[in-house]
Amino acid sequence: MKSQQDVVAIKSARGGHSEEESLPLVSLDNVSLGYDSAPVLNAVNLAIYPGSLIGLAGPNGSGKTTLFRTILGLLAPIAGTLSRSCPLSNFGYVPQSAALDPQFPLSASEVVEMGAYGRVHPYQFLPAREKERVKEVLQQIGLPQLAARSFFSLSGGQKQRMLIARALMVNPKIMILDEPLSGVDEESRRSIADLLTKLTREKGLAVFFSSHDLEMVQRVADGIVRIDKGQIWLDERKARLHP
Amino acid sequence: MSTLIEIVNPSYLLFPALLGTLIMGLVCPLVGSFLVLRRTVFLGLTLPEIAAAGVSFTFWLQQTGVLPQLSQAERTIGMIGSLVFTFLGMGLLGYLEQRGKGPAEGRLAAAYAFAGSLTILFMVFNPAGQIEVLNLLKGEVIALSKAELRLVVGVFGLVFVAMLVFRREFLLTSFDRDLAFLLKGRQVVWDVLLYLLAGLIIAFGVIMAGPLLIFGFLVLPALAAKPLVSRMSSFLTVSSVLGLVMAFLGFYSSVRLDLPLGPTDVALGCCLIFLAYGVRRITARTFAVLIVTCLAISVTACSARAPAEPVPEAKTINAEEVWLAKVKNSTALPLLLPSNNPLRSLAEMVGKISSDYRQNVMDLLRENLKTELAQKGFQISLPEEQDVRFVAFPTDASAAARMAREGKLSGAVFASEIWRWEIESQKFVRVLIDFKLIRLDDGAVLWERRVQGAIPTPSATNAGQASNDAVKAIVRDLFAG
Repeated sequence: MKSQQDVVAIKSARGGHSEEESLPLVSLDNVSLGYDSAPVLNAVNLAIYPGSLIGLAGPNGSGKTTLFRTILGLLAPIAGTLSRSCPLSNFGYVPQSAALDPQFPLSASEVVEMGAYGRVHPYQFLPAREKERVKEVLQQIGLPQLAARSFFSLSGGQKQRMLIARALMVNPKIMILDEPLSGVDEESRRSIADLLTKLTREKGLAVFFSSHDLEMVQRVADGIVRIDKGQIWLDERKARLHP
Repeated sequence: MSTLIEIVNPSYLLFPALLGTLIMGLVCPLVGSFLVLRRTVFLGLTLPEIAAAGVSFTFWLQQTGVLPQLSQAERTIGMIGSLVFTFLGMGLLGYLEQRGKGPAEGRLAAAYAFAGSLTILFMVFNPAGQIEVLNLLKGEVIALSKAELRLVVGVFGLVFVAMLVFRREFLLTSFDRDLAFLLKGRQVVWDVLLYLLAGLIIAFGVIMAGPLLIFGFLVLPALAAKPLVSRMSSFLTVSSVLGLVMAFLGFYSSVRLDLPLGPTDVALGCCLIFLAYGVRRITARTFAVLIVTCLAISVTACSARAPAEPVPEAKTINAEEVWLAKVKNSTALPLLLPSNNPLRSLAEMVGKISSDYRQNVMDLLRENLKTELAQKGFQISLPEEQDVRFVAFPTDASAAARMAREGKLSGAVFASEIWRWEIESQKFVRVLIDFKLIRLDDGAVLWERRVQGAIPTPSATNAGQASNDAVKAIVRDLFAG
């Protein structure tokens, strides 16, 4: 087990060695993070490289979402240095579907379209190429037949996959998923895990997802970052450390 | 059906008011949809109340002399107060939201109560302007002038365009603030813009249509649309369409049945919600058919009354003489005309009335009836000249016949009774008057008519002139063949 002062750095399982892949997409250097100047995690050192599939395991309330929100720029670090090698618009974020308000009358395709909003000017209609892209990502997640269905009428697993499709619409370099496997049935878990693996292997995306279920994370991820009681460390049973 | 054709005719006096109501009905639900989805419906109730406090405050300032007295610019002054208070209120609520002290609902409820009490207190401080303030807060959109309509088109048109252009940004910020931040940067810009647009239509809408109607237009169509749609684009469209339906049907019912517009529209909006939840299991197309059917039934029902018959010709009723009874006033108001009434001055000059006599609406109406009846070929007599007991002649047919027989009168009596006579904004007079022509031999009602509704008095510049114009319009209508 590494101490929290060590750099937790995980490289691509594909073993890519291009110049782009040798630079971390996100790196946290001795970062303290939390809310209202009260740190939840201290001295976090973490680097995420392209093509890596990293699981963040820890119990509820350990600070997984706080870490994600800090990486995404939604929370400012209390101390330390956080650097990103790509703009925030290249981050595909998948929140917990329960965090979204079910009273919005949205179809599944409307939710997926939201991923393109960053590229569309306010006065424009959604361009045809973006509509095509919606179809592509729905195909990619295997749910094109549910495009017209009400988003909140879908099952937990289907909603989660739709949110992954929305994140893919962004054309991300890194995807951050908050508890994508919780509250979904076993078949959906398998399907989501396969999808995440495929995205890292075939598209070279970095995927960083959280779960409170360590066993599940071990099954899916190339590398596991453990988080608990204000500390973060790399679980060496599975990860390959960056030198 | 004639009323329907009349109100959609651009030359109709209240046509600007109809257009204004339709524009508000179209635009308000677009903003209100987001208030509903963001669970800030109570903001839609509180802001109009704050705007109303602003109107009351500016009138009080006028009364104390801090602001100049501009009788021709009542609405403009009220509008300034409405705008200032709305944006100050929004700023304060936003600041408290940022500080995050206490529940949001609690803050809004307290603001609503505070604004409501301020509105009443400023009115109490300003007894001279109470009626003007009350009229403005009642929001008689029916009195909307063409200049005010242009303002409504400008402001609401701007909000409409902004809501269409920034619909994606407003949706994203309302639905998923984290994604909005990643894709569009600081979402506070979109929050501010959305509430700015809401504040704008509320501040202008309250002064044009009153707080109740604006709150109704903001919230009710969106609530009615919600169970009917599963797409955001349909939600906005259906909300606006239901807003239009509510506005048109409300306006039509208000004119046809002489009901106040605000409560009529709001009641209709609530019916739409019940209807929408009741039929949520049927398809959108069936619902649309149902709405159209309801519209048609309502319009037909409102138009089902037989066309009003004019006063018959003298020869057709075989009455030798018509006794024109004094007009009965059942309004509990004296209905006196202002002392500077030019008609009164003329009468005084020729010595027909004493200088301490004040003419009233009843006399004015009787004078006009007398002239028109004479032109129809009737031989007019005044019952009180025959017998002093006939000063108050009953409008009930059998009682009138009995009384006439006792007084040895024969022929027919023309009786009138005013139930309502309210001058509003000098641009129209709301009336309810019964007219009857009763044969005295047997008490048979030969002809009768009830005149009810808002009588337009567009060229009137004071209350006396408005009454005069309204009387002429009513009598002209009674005798029109």
